[in-house]
Amino acid sequence: MSEYPNVLLLPQTNQLRGLYSIIRSKETHRSDFVFYSDRIIRLLVEKGLDQLPVEEKKIVTPLGVEHDGVEFLGKICGVSIVRAGESMEQGLRDCCRSVRIGKILIQRDEETALPKLFYEKLPDDIADRYVFLLDPMLATGGSAMLATEVLIKRGVKPERIFFLNLLAAPEGIEAYHAKFPQIKIITGGIDPKLDDKKRIYPGLGDFGDRYYCI
Amino acid sequence: MATTHGPLSSGDDEVTTPRSRAPATNREPTSQDITTKEGTSSDVIQADGDVDVNYTPPWTEPYVIGIAGPSGSGKTSVASRIIHEINTPWTVLLSLDNFYRPLTPKQLEMAFDNEYDFDNPNAVDLDCCYECVKSLKGGHKTQIPIYSFAKHDREKDRCITIYGANVIIIEGIYALAHEKLRDLMHLKIYVDTDLDVCLARRLNRDIAQRGRDLQGAIQQWTKFVKPNAERYVKPTMSHADLIVPRGSDNVIAIDMLIRHIKKHLALKSEAHLQKIEKLTGKLSFTKENYPNLQILENTHQMRGIYTILLDRETSMDDFIFYFDRVAMTLINKALESCTEYREVVVETPLTAMKSVIPSSKFVAVNIVRSGDCFMHSLRKTLPEVAIGKLLIQSDATTGEPQLHTEALPQSIDDSNAKVLLFDAQIISGAGIIMAIQVLADHGVKPQNIVVITYLGSEVGLSRIMRAFKDVTVVVGMVGYRDNISKEPWFRKRFIDSKYFGT
Repeated sequence: MSEYPNVLLLPQTNQLRGLYSIIRSKETHRSDFVFYSDRIIRLLVEKGLDQLPVEEKKIVTPLGVEHDGVEFLGKICGVSIVRAGESMEQGLRDCCRSVRIGKILIQRDEETALPKLFYEKLPDDIADRYVFLLDPMLATGGSAMLATEVLIKRGVKPERIFFLNLLAAPEGIEAYHAKFPQIKIITGGIDPKLDDKKRIYPGLGDFGDRYYCI
Repeated sequence: MATTHGPLSSGDDEVTTPRSRAPATNREPTSQDITTKEGTSSDVIQADGDVDVNYTPPWTEPYVIGIAGPSGSGKTSVASRIIHEINTPWTVLLSLDNFYRPLTPKQLEMAFDNEYDFDNPNAVDLDCCYECVKSLKGGHKTQIPIYSFAKHDREKDRCITIYGANVIIIEGIYALAHEKLRDLMHLKIYVDTDLDVCLARRLNRDIAQRGRDLQGAIQQWTKFVKPNAERYVKPTMSHADLIVPRGSDNVIAIDMLIRHIKKHLALKSEAHLQKIEKLTGKLSFTKENYPNLQILENTHQMRGIYTILLDRETSMDDFIFYFDRVAMTLINKALESCTEYREVVVETPLTAMKSVIPSSKFVAVNIVRSGDCFMHSLRKTLPEVAIGKLLIQSDATTGEPQLHTEALPQSIDDSNAKVLLFDAQIISGAGIIMAIQVLADHGVKPQNIVVITYLGSEVGLSRIMRAFKDVTVVVGMVGYRDNISKEPWFRKRFIDSKYFGT
């Protein structure tokens, strides 16, 4: 776990640190960056799914024997923050094949320098669902908080939201927690700080650029 | 020529066909051997922990048969009949023709003039044959020379590699002439056919199949073959346990012979099974008792997936999907437990920082077919890993595991490579123990082996960890002894059947 009450941090095993070494390195080419990010995303999604409740279910095995099993409870959906968050959709699909995925586009307003909502497309019944909010980097938390507000306005219960990211900064975690104390952040790494340009430091660069462009 | 009977041969089909028709029966010896064990629990408890237990694979105790007799007496047909009838994987036929000594230039000249005496006992390197059989008995991968009759020399760059022989048949006129070689044999047979009949057969073979002329063939016979047969071959008859007159035409003798061999092979496989049974541990699965056992955390997701995989209503599509998910988690867990790391400085786009990167190399080995269920997930985790295959099947009647074929990648020779050994289910543990032994025989250190499995019975898992204390075992769900009567699926192979739909 972590020192933050609202954060579920993946166990910092050598294996995980090794994966991060690859995606952090500026020498890593895009194909490797994508491959190893996807491996980490998969671990985040598994961790997120583990938070969902189950209920008892009796089944019959092929041998005709009854077995007391459990069944996944509740519907889920993914909501990605365009564009970097979309990189995490495949990881979610790898675990939940037909999961619904909503999108939110947030960009910095040129005049106010504040994040502004440009577009949202969410499932109609999102209020009944568990929501995995997908955005790989939690720096200041500005766009994540705006996106979360959108979700809550659409009737999603805060305790049913899980915010998945690969790398978080303490400033972002604290700001997000102050605003949404009930929402769990699931992350694979917490870096020491933001630098003077509000970038995660040491970080891994611009995730969207590295995943899609460079 | 040495032939290995087993991999992809007709015998293989005969073993598998009845099983694929009735997949629920006799796949593994488990239900039976689990219950028998309960009865003998008291001595097992005492043995657990203090006494060193070892696994002896069947190929370190191969059943060795020697077949001697004059040229043309029918040794080869007798050997073929035995191979056909016993139908055991890894039956190796070693012909003494492979062990002719390389010739000196002078002898070579004589040989091309048909003047060299190939039927003299000194022409055959029986010491070399003895060394080969001894090495096979030691469980080693063994190189058998190939002799070229065209060049009258051993092939320089080629030889036959044999590993894991279960039955070895040594066939040749001097098979019983070497004392130490004889001592390795369990059954010594002499095929005694009238020399006139031998000559007739030889002429037939030499002229029809080897393209010799009649005169040359007869000259060879009178000058070398016959005198040697009388002088050197015939006396070895006294070492035989059994003399078969008239070769393979002698139906009664062959029948008795085969019954005798089958009886001994049955005893041998029973002894093998008993040794596996003796490995069973009684200690509970705690970190202290089995430090190398890693059981997946029983989270909501794992319980849900387990339920889906066990449900008979689950479609094949869903089964594959959910098995792949759990396979990925198991592989990640295995990598976590075995990968070694070194410290590095990573340059991120902003700055440099200390971190680690993996320093281990990996090789994967599948036990066909249930290990194949992991391959999709393995490719998504370690896309470039080399994959070896082992086919080990349980005998349909006895349940004894038998090694049918092994194809291991070169990279397994790297003594630091971690070997990930996959099998979807561990029931009696017999197959996987054999697989680990195969890897060990190829020079893999047990501490570099990680067994990855989804369902494991407590009995099977305890046997693996007691036979090989340094092997790491990663398992998804454990079928505990006390529960196993309520969880019969821990005793049946079903994962690969459902995953592949056959």
